[in-house]
Amino acid sequence: MKNTSPIIFLKNVNKSFPLSLGGVQQVLFDINFTIKSGEFVAIMGPSGSGKSTCMNIIGALDSATSGTYELYGKDTKTMTPDDMATIRNEYIGFVFQNFNLLSKRTVIDNVMLPLMYRGIVMRDRIERAREMLRLVGLEKFETYLPTQLSGGMKQRVAIARALSGNPKLILADEPTGSLDSKMGNEILKFFEKLNRDFGITIIMITHEFEISQYAHRIIHIYDGRITYDGPVPKSETVLLKSEKRVKK
Amino acid sequence: MTLGDIIKESWISVSGNKLRSFLTVLGIIIGVMAVVIMVAVGETVQKSITNQFSALGTNTIVIRAGAARNRGVRMGNRQTLTITDTDQIKRLSDVMYITPAQMGSAQVIYGNKNWSTMILGAYPDYLAIQDIEMEYGTPFDMNAVKNASAYAIIGPDTAYELGLPDDPVGEFIRIQHIPFVVVGVMKARGDSAFGSQDDMIIIPITTFKKRLQGSKFPDAVTMIALKIFPDANNNVVIEQITSLLRQRHRLKDADEDDFQITDMKQIMETMDTVTGYLKLLLIAIAAVSLLVGSIGIMNMMLTSVAERTREIGVRKAIGARERVIIIQFLSESVMISFIGSMIGLVLGVGLSQGVGRFILHYDVPFSIWPVILSVTVAVVVGLASGVMPAIKAAKLNPIDSLRYE
Repeated sequence: MKNTSPIIFLKNVNKSFPLSLGGVQQVLFDINFTIKSGEFVAIMGPSGSGKSTCMNIIGALDSATSGTYELYGKDTKTMTPDDMATIRNEYIGFVFQNFNLLSKRTVIDNVMLPLMYRGIVMRDRIERAREMLRLVGLEKFETYLPTQLSGGMKQRVAIARALSGNPKLILADEPTGSLDSKMGNEILKFFEKLNRDFGITIIMITHEFEISQYAHRIIHIYDGRITYDGPVPKSETVLLKSEKRVKK
Repeated sequence: MTLGDIIKESWISVSGNKLRSFLTVLGIIIGVMAVVIMVAVGETVQKSITNQFSALGTNTIVIRAGAARNRGVRMGNRQTLTITDTDQIKRLSDVMYITPAQMGSAQVIYGNKNWSTMILGAYPDYLAIQDIEMEYGTPFDMNAVKNASAYAIIGPDTAYELGLPDDPVGEFIRIQHIPFVVVGVMKARGDSAFGSQDDMIIIPITTFKKRLQGSKFPDAVTMIALKIFPDANNNVVIEQITSLLRQRHRLKDADEDDFQITDMKQIMETMDTVTGYLKLLLIAIAAVSLLVGSIGIMNMMLTSVAERTREIGVRKAIGARERVIIIQFLSESVMISFIGSMIGLVLGVGLSQGVGRFILHYDVPFSIWPVILSVTVAVVVGLASGVMPAIKAAKLNPIDSLRYE
């Protein structure tokens, strides 16, 4: 049973970066959308469209230059870097394209990391991490180092780490980008399962239309503007046509 | 994040790059070891000198003959003190022991062996002033002084060099061809700051002046040494002696003293100050290597922050606050410094004690200072060299860090 209350609210969000030679470059223009709890959303767009910047703002890794971004009803504008760290730790699980596991820590140490920063006692950390490793099918690999695992296994460890803090939201940035198609599909099916069976909200950044098929909604960004926000279309042509509106 | 987590995380990071950590730790080991050894050397020197002076007692006063002056011009050294001065000073109520003294070296012969050694002319009180005990025989008495008897008390090293029998009392030796009878042998005392105390011969001062030196001024001596009663005041006695000698030497008010009086208390205080500065100098030199070691830690930590930029980004992305990142990097630098300091302490104490006991055969005093110093160094150096890299790590932007290649 999905909770339909909005967890992410962006209104007129703009983002610009200072250029080294002076001036600024705007990368996001008046971004407006709401994501409700339990949704599986793909944020799509070609390289350089601003989708990663958008994800950084949603993930409280960066803040908007102007506009409003509320996460679980909390306005991020006035937050300090430490407040943002707490928000990330409590509400968000990150899955990165290149896994970002700590290479000198064992699999279970990596999975326990968010719990360590939350101040959970060691016994509970181990219990929770083992539970997550069981969920991703890696319970026999807890003492392995990430360098001893395949790409698919590494991404499953990263998912276990993202899930260990019991987040309301998983932010996946090109999660299958470093995997072959078979392994990629497995990961995407796992996201589907997490969304369906556990009601976890998933926001996935991708530039591949096939991958977005696992989501229920697509937000298409082109040149820093949203060109499409709706259910997953049957053909990519719909998205490409939406880009033309911006080009004009 | 608990203390256990901090230690574990730091240990994984430090042990993850063994060679680099070892080389960094080595800098601190050498630094702390150098400081510990220098403290031990300084304290040993200070203790040795203090012991030798305190053996003489703080109630010992030495009067030396000064330079004679004519209308304010120094006329060279002259023996301005006399045996009669000694006997007059002896009358002061606070004087316990007193002796005139004059030294010179001479050739000593026993049988077919000869040996050049120091000859000291003195009263028998000299033995009491210097706390000299007898191994064999007894000291000569004041009658021997009065009669300028050819009696000799010899040091154990002199006895050995001359090939005298174990108990040489009654044996005849020749000092500058004058036969002397050995009346006693001193107990071995070891070396002092002024050379061997065991290679010397003590004879009556009158014998020294009249028979050995054949002096035209048999009453003149270069030095008078005395010991006052322990409850007497050094300054009061010095004033009394000054007044007495000025009167005896017929010095006018405008004339400077033609003698110098020093007491062991002054000498000990001066020596203590000198050795204190020496110790500080040694520690300061050793501290330079410690400074170099701490720069090594800072260098390693800065390299580590640069190498682990992505790791820092990951940690921040999943919820590490700035304070936590600072604590983690600080604890790594403190851990390196702590390991280095403890190894340096053990090696420093071990080496200074080992070399002192087994090679130099000298008891090196064990001091708590190196321990306190090492722990302080571990914390201060670790924190000081880690703070800049730690802040740098904490201030990294998580997005840039995650993109870092």
